[in-house]
Amino acid sequence: MNSKKMKFVIGSLVIIVAVIVLAIQGMKEDTTMSYSKSVSEVKMLGSRAYAMTLKVNGDLKKGSIVRNNLDLDFVITEGNSELSIHYIGKDPIPDTFNNDMDAEVIVSGKLQQDGVFNAERIQAKCASKYEADYSSPEI
Amino acid sequence: MADLGNILLFFLFPVSVFTALTALAAGITKRRGLLEAARRGAYAAFAVTTLAVLALEYLLVTSDFSIEYVASNTNFALPLFYKIVALWAGHNGSLLLWTWIVTIFSAIVAYQHRHKNNDLMPYVLFVMATTMVFFSILSVFISNPFQTLYQDFGNTLQEFTARDGHGLNPLLQHPAMVIHPPVLFIGYVGSVVPFAFAIAALITGKLGSGWIHTTRRWALTTWGFLAVGIILGGKWAYVELGWGGYWAWDPVENASLLPWLTSTAYLHSVMIQERKGMLKIWNMALVISTYLLAIFGTFLTRSGIVSSVHAFANSGLGPAFAVFLSMGIIFSLSLLIYRRKDLKPDEEMESLVSRESGFLFNNLLFLLATIAVLWGTMFPVISELFTGDQITVGPPWFNNIMIPIGLALLLLTGAGPLLAWRHTSVETLKRSFGWPTLGSIIFIAILFAFGIRDGWALGSFAISFFVMWTIVVEFVKGANIRKKNSGENFFLAMYMLSRKNTRRYGGYLIHAAMVVMFVGFTGNAFNTETRAEVGEGDSFQLGPYTFKALTIIDEQNDNYSSQTLEMEMYRDNRLIDTISPQKRFYFASEQPSTEVDIYSTIREDIYAVLSGMNNDGTKVIVQVYRNPFVSMVWIGAFIMGIGTLFAMLPNLRESKAGGE
Repeated sequence: MNSKKMKFVIGSLVIIVAVIVLAIQGMKEDTTMSYSKSVSEVKMLGSRAYAMTLKVNGDLKKGSIVRNNLDLDFVITEGNSELSIHYIGKDPIPDTFNNDMDAEVIVSGKLQQDGVFNAERIQAKCASKYEADYSSPEI
Repeated sequence: MADLGNILLFFLFPVSVFTALTALAAGITKRRGLLEAARRGAYAAFAVTTLAVLALEYLLVTSDFSIEYVASNTNFALPLFYKIVALWAGHNGSLLLWTWIVTIFSAIVAYQHRHKNNDLMPYVLFVMATTMVFFSILSVFISNPFQTLYQDFGNTLQEFTARDGHGLNPLLQHPAMVIHPPVLFIGYVGSVVPFAFAIAALITGKLGSGWIHTTRRWALTTWGFLAVGIILGGKWAYVELGWGGYWAWDPVENASLLPWLTSTAYLHSVMIQERKGMLKIWNMALVISTYLLAIFGTFLTRSGIVSSVHAFANSGLGPAFAVFLSMGIIFSLSLLIYRRKDLKPDEEMESLVSRESGFLFNNLLFLLATIAVLWGTMFPVISELFTGDQITVGPPWFNNIMIPIGLALLLLTGAGPLLAWRHTSVETLKRSFGWPTLGSIIFIAILFAFGIRDGWALGSFAISFFVMWTIVVEFVKGANIRKKNSGENFFLAMYMLSRKNTRRYGGYLIHAAMVVMFVGFTGNAFNTETRAEVGEGDSFQLGPYTFKALTIIDEQNDNYSSQTLEMEMYRDNRLIDTISPQKRFYFASEQPSTEVDIYSTIREDIYAVLSGMNNDGTKVIVQVYRNPFVSMVWIGAFIMGIGTLFAMLPNLRESKAGGE
């Protein structure tokens, strides 16, 4: 390999290594990475759960939403497992999120030692809204 | 009408198979008659798909709720305009739109080249028709928009007509959302044209610059539509989703960014091939990747393999896409390997400090950006494969890696065009870079003195200043030289100069647009926000602004009921504006929707969201964001559109010699 080519190879390698370093350095278990789990899977994690950022999906328990000033608490379920959520995020909560709805919810945040999940983000999916569910057929 | 639509759509399948086969036969036998037949096939595919689209439009507009797609996406009270655009509101309809655009482009290409490129055209039509075959299979057999509505009565499924439809998702009832999908789709689908020509060049071995010249406008148009489509999506997210931002590194957003990144890389590296005969394999690889990433993006959006707020629910298309994608990858890769000897460079790189080298590093950075975004997007899938845990990487990961890459690219935007081809001497470097560099350093010092301490933001502003300077100098210097020679006044000289090399000066305009957009992106470093619970008469503060709640208004119409908070916004005790964030509840879809109110100036946006009622119903919760420079993103996008159009204008030729 001649020296001209060498320069390009070295220059490119520097850039590639820099990007790889950024990619690895960016993977932090407690901030940038989150583990997707269901409610029952969180229960099975035990004390390991406290160190991880989790993305938990479950169904919103009907009527469980309690608002108190700017605070917001609710419960999500999966089968018999329940998880109490306390919202500590700043963003407005999504439109599909309210007490009357069958909503599938994804909360991102951390499980506290007392078993309450501190959510920084709430995403709500409307479970069956756009699926076939026509209750009033015209006969 | 539904049956008619179904039949028309069904015809697309045999027609596109016929087109693909006759085109292939025309390529092998080199018979004009077969090529002519394939061309007619492309026209026919366009005709039947157009009629199928019209049939679906008819069903949508007349609210035929015996059709599942119509019932799921519209309702009687929906304004006519939204009934029409509901064509791309749902999965099946938007897939039909995709298919339709493929047939439109095939017909245009077939027509444009009816008297030329007879050697390439059979394979071009073959590739485009194969894409059509794939999408017709999806549209006809898997996601048919003409599907009738069934309801479970006891144990039997019966056809029935719903009394009213579910209505259009309220989030989609916004002008930006109305044009965002078609614009983005045109960008996605447009990538098939350069791809088809590249593959045709590989098959026939006619690897000269012919296919590149032929597809230059297509590549640029595709790129422009993709860019505008992505930004419209951001604009929609900003005004409609109500979380105060326009980009969240969501899988679906990333999916649209990926082909844009490779397509941008191609638009740059192709200049080296034209000028120097280098990077031939690389350009092929970029054109191929852009097409495959466009297909991959569609797959990602519709397969549900990575969860996203935007994504359509799992639609059963995953396996079909996986097969089509793998076939595309294997087929293109084999061709590339087969022709690798014919794609050797004519010249070699000479100096690390040269225009070529600038382009080379530009491409390396775009490639790394593509890999990074792809890696981050697919990380849930990758991690599940290797560790069993589904791990998502959040926006901070993307920012950590994309901000440095973005700034490096921005710097190259300014530096690259100043470098000479082959080699740049130290003297030239000093002359070209001296003043802009000094200017940027002074600029940072001023910003620092005004209290800006964020390192990335200072870096970004400095680079933006540097790049803008070099672009302005390019225009001014060129115009002055022309003015001296031609005697025209300065502005006419600048116009004539640009018109004589539209590609170059259009490119500079796009670079300037990128600078403006980067200033907008950098504004994110200074975002502030507050949340307050207010009743009538209460007030709160954000930065220098005071907000005073006046009234809470409840209203209702056919489509939705709404609650509006009216606030006055004061700065230094002076009334600036009234801000009225609103919350709506749509009856048909039973969905609430947040209508934000934005007070927008070039300097900053004040963005207010009504996020909810308090328990006792007397107070509301309001969230206010102060986002500096957001409008720069939209202004930049507009300039980018102008620059792209300008770059497509044919160069002006003058009778007398002069200029370039």
